[in-house]
Amino acid sequence: MRIGDLLRLPVLLAAAALPPTSLAEHTSNWAVLVGTSRFWFNYRHMSNVLSIYRTVKRLGIPDSQIILMLPDDMACNPRNAFPGTVYSNSDRAVDLYGDNIEVDYRGYEVTVENFIRLLTDRVGAEMPRSKRLLTDDRSNILIYMTGHGGNEFLKFQDAEEIGAFDLADAFEQMWEKKRYHEILFMIDTCQANTMYSKLYSPNIIATGSSKLDQSSYSHHADQDVGVAVIDRFTYYNLEFLENQVQDMSSKKTLGELFDSYDYEKIHSNPGVRYDLFPGGEEAARSRRITDFFGNVQNVEVDRVKSLALDEELLELSRTIAALRRKADEEDAAAAEAEAALRNATVAAANEGRPPPRTEMRRVQLAKPLTEENWWTRKIVGATALAGCAALWLLGSYFEPGRKRDGLVGRSKEAVVDGTAKSGP
Amino acid sequence: MRHLLAFICLLPLVSWVTAADYYEQLNLRPLPLSALLASFNFRSNTSFYDFESHNFRYFPRSLGQILQHAGTRELHLRFSLGRWDAESWGTRPWEGQREGGTGVELWAWLESESDEEADEKWLILTNALSGLFCASLNFVDGTRTTRPVMSFQPEGDHPTSSIPNLRLLHGVLPKEVVCTENLTPFLKLLPCKGKVGVSTLLDGHKLFDSAYQSMAIDVKPICPEDGDCVLEIEQTIDMVLDIERSQRPQEIPRPPPSRDLKCDTSKPYHAPNTCFPLGYNASQEWSLSQVFGHPMKGTCPLTDPEIPPVCIQVPHSRSVYTSAGVHQMKNADGRSRCFTFDSEGDFDIILPAPDADDTGEIIANTTTTMTTTDDELIKSPTPLIYAERSLMGHGQERGGVQTILTNPSQDTEVEFIYMESLPWFMRVYLHTLNARLEGSRGKAQPAMIEDIYYRPAVDRARGTQLELRMRIPPASTVFLTYDFEKTILRYTEYPPDANRGFDVAAAVITTVRPRVQSVRTTTLLLNLPVPDFSMPYNVIIFTSTAIALAFGGMYNILVRRLVAADEAPSRLARAKLGKLIEKFRSRKSTRK
Repeated sequence: MRIGDLLRLPVLLAAAALPPTSLAEHTSNWAVLVGTSRFWFNYRHMSNVLSIYRTVKRLGIPDSQIILMLPDDMACNPRNAFPGTVYSNSDRAVDLYGDNIEVDYRGYEVTVENFIRLLTDRVGAEMPRSKRLLTDDRSNILIYMTGHGGNEFLKFQDAEEIGAFDLADAFEQMWEKKRYHEILFMIDTCQANTMYSKLYSPNIIATGSSKLDQSSYSHHADQDVGVAVIDRFTYYNLEFLENQVQDMSSKKTLGELFDSYDYEKIHSNPGVRYDLFPGGEEAARSRRITDFFGNVQNVEVDRVKSLALDEELLELSRTIAALRRKADEEDAAAAEAEAALRNATVAAANEGRPPPRTEMRRVQLAKPLTEENWWTRKIVGATALAGCAALWLLGSYFEPGRKRDGLVGRSKEAVVDGTAKSGP
Repeated sequence: MRHLLAFICLLPLVSWVTAADYYEQLNLRPLPLSALLASFNFRSNTSFYDFESHNFRYFPRSLGQILQHAGTRELHLRFSLGRWDAESWGTRPWEGQREGGTGVELWAWLESESDEEADEKWLILTNALSGLFCASLNFVDGTRTTRPVMSFQPEGDHPTSSIPNLRLLHGVLPKEVVCTENLTPFLKLLPCKGKVGVSTLLDGHKLFDSAYQSMAIDVKPICPEDGDCVLEIEQTIDMVLDIERSQRPQEIPRPPPSRDLKCDTSKPYHAPNTCFPLGYNASQEWSLSQVFGHPMKGTCPLTDPEIPPVCIQVPHSRSVYTSAGVHQMKNADGRSRCFTFDSEGDFDIILPAPDADDTGEIIANTTTTMTTTDDELIKSPTPLIYAERSLMGHGQERGGVQTILTNPSQDTEVEFIYMESLPWFMRVYLHTLNARLEGSRGKAQPAMIEDIYYRPAVDRARGTQLELRMRIPPASTVFLTYDFEKTILRYTEYPPDANRGFDVAAAVITTVRPRVQSVRTTTLLLNLPVPDFSMPYNVIIFTSTAIALAFGGMYNILVRRLVAADEAPSRLARAKLGKLIEKFRSRKSTRK
């Protein structure tokens, strides 16, 4: 071990020693909420997205950390009898559009390209910060999508589709770029579970509204609005979130949310995918809902924090000292061994023995070709080739003979004739 | 004219602004047919020294940083919806200077050495504004950007040294929706953030329910003759509310029972089962809390307490009731009154219908409600010019545009600049441009178009820009027409809702004489030939079939020998062959 390595040691140690307290933690929460349907009759997809928007805002995620994509204008649509409002329930108790809303991507901006660019942050220099997903490897992201989909695709604005593979690759790129800590992916469309089936990046929990060949149904319609106002999956998710997750102090876990899904209510089979999550189903189910739907609020109490830090630093310095001692010892031992080896070599040379091989552990990557082997191989190869040629010649010699014998079927004759004819 | 002056007399407040750094006012003007114009105006300014040293007080920091980053010296941004009904409502507020075309309109003077540099800064500006105002302003690209030559003049006082480097760029998004997400950042720019004062009356539910609304943001430098130059931001919202509509409860109105219908008994067909409903009562009772959804909350403490926050333009003969804490001041002109408020509390102003006057007299003309008397309303001045624009022609290939321009004045000639910025897929035939005076078909035409500035479109790169300097004689109407050809777009260039049509931006009409006024027409909805979007799938299926047929046939010809039936070896021949083989085999076996 050299001095340079030794100097780097404390840094490495610090990096290794600190995370255990913060490994399971995230330092920011983001939400990407995407509606993908244009046109008035898809009002319910807008209200799906806006109800989730309302929920995450209620639980403290600020507008700057919510990317809201709304492909059409429902609130100020001329068909809307209630201008400036979007309702997700026919009782019209809560106006989801409210007085304080910030839409980041709207209208024609909601495209597959922009969505993938947003996730992977491959945007131009002129892109304003409010339209970017500025996450890092300590960010938990809630990604919610709704629209019309099918087997392994989701339609955007009835004009283009995003495939399950595109989505999986985008998530993988996010992981490679250290753009997330954990992702909760929720999707409410027909055959939604197929959309997350191709994901392969770690730290993702995925849930969808319906399995392959199943439709995702709307919950109910408002006669005055004139269209269905919300989908079933989102409706019952919201019901749980509104009733059980009142504020950030809620201890409800994702497992409890997933257990609340009921075929009788949702009319389709919601799916959950745990296998990408480290620790599998158990770890994923024990994650709190507020880890994804709420904003992280780390309260730092100065004294306690400093005490803990002092202790940690003390422990760290002790470890460093111990390691340093150990390293010194190792160095000394190595020097000793080397000296002994040199002595041994000298002794061996004196005795006429070959020196002990020191590079025995080196892995041999390729076998060197030896002279005699090379010639035998050449001969073997030539013989094989000659044999093949002989076989072929023999075959072609016997073929006319067999034909004369009338053993060949008609069709084969035809083929031979045909090739003979087209040859010249 | 007098009324106009009465309206303009509120403008000189500009000169006080340097004293107080923030100013806000709401002007209410009842319009005919139960409409109410509400003009909100918010102004704040900052000295250039503070601006340059990033010391923002009332000037919004978020916008200020964008302007500095993009080298913008003067900015005008508009979010508009609806149509100003000039025939009934008269002149536009602020002489049309705070109006925008339907959708989003943006024009700015950028300081730059070259056109390329201006384009770069424009890209930065539009993208930054799109993030700030939640609008798709980043779609203002080269095809939607024009450089107007005559129509727009800088409003600010720019130092003469920088004028040669100022470049004007103008972009419109006629399709852009304007909704609550645009109002939210607008209110956040205000020093009182819509929490207190006049801005508490701004509510998306009422603003976007109005017949016409225009939100404007103007940033410009102002140099008073005595004093230092300041950068002023002016935020304006003009909205025309339908009083009857705004008073209805938040649910779908059901038809009233027949006994509640007000029928026009003068109609000859009036009978117990037939009813011609009476028009809106021109003067209904209304109050601030009714038309805006809630009362005004407090006053913004940052304003000069001398300036009344709310003014109403009704004749002094009408009585106005107020809630506690509101003090009324009648202006000397006899046509407007202003209100000052205590610093805290909920305030309301109620304007009773004139027929329920405190005198108790029932005015005779309430049954013939369409007429309004001078006692009820301040009549709006007539605008200098009326303009309406429409599409002509039929079919998928060609079309025409007709603009009808009317000069209502009996004695004054109007000179104006007509500007169109058309999308590139509308190919204008400039040689068909024609201005025709009404009723003069076949007669000698006076030359009405004085000057033309035309910049033709380049496919997929830039749109057409057409500016005309025109003159209309008094009391006459001019038909301005031109033809165009519709382009077939590429498959991927169609938006998801191509069948709806493509919006063509409003034409901007700026009068030069007798005074400067601005008028915008409505946008047009252009139908382009739209392909059947299932076409690619049909094409794939069709080509696959064709290839399968061709390949199958070719393959058969290549590998099969086709022979006539008589040429083929017959059954008899085969039997003979069989016998021969048998004989051969048997001989073999015997030989063994």
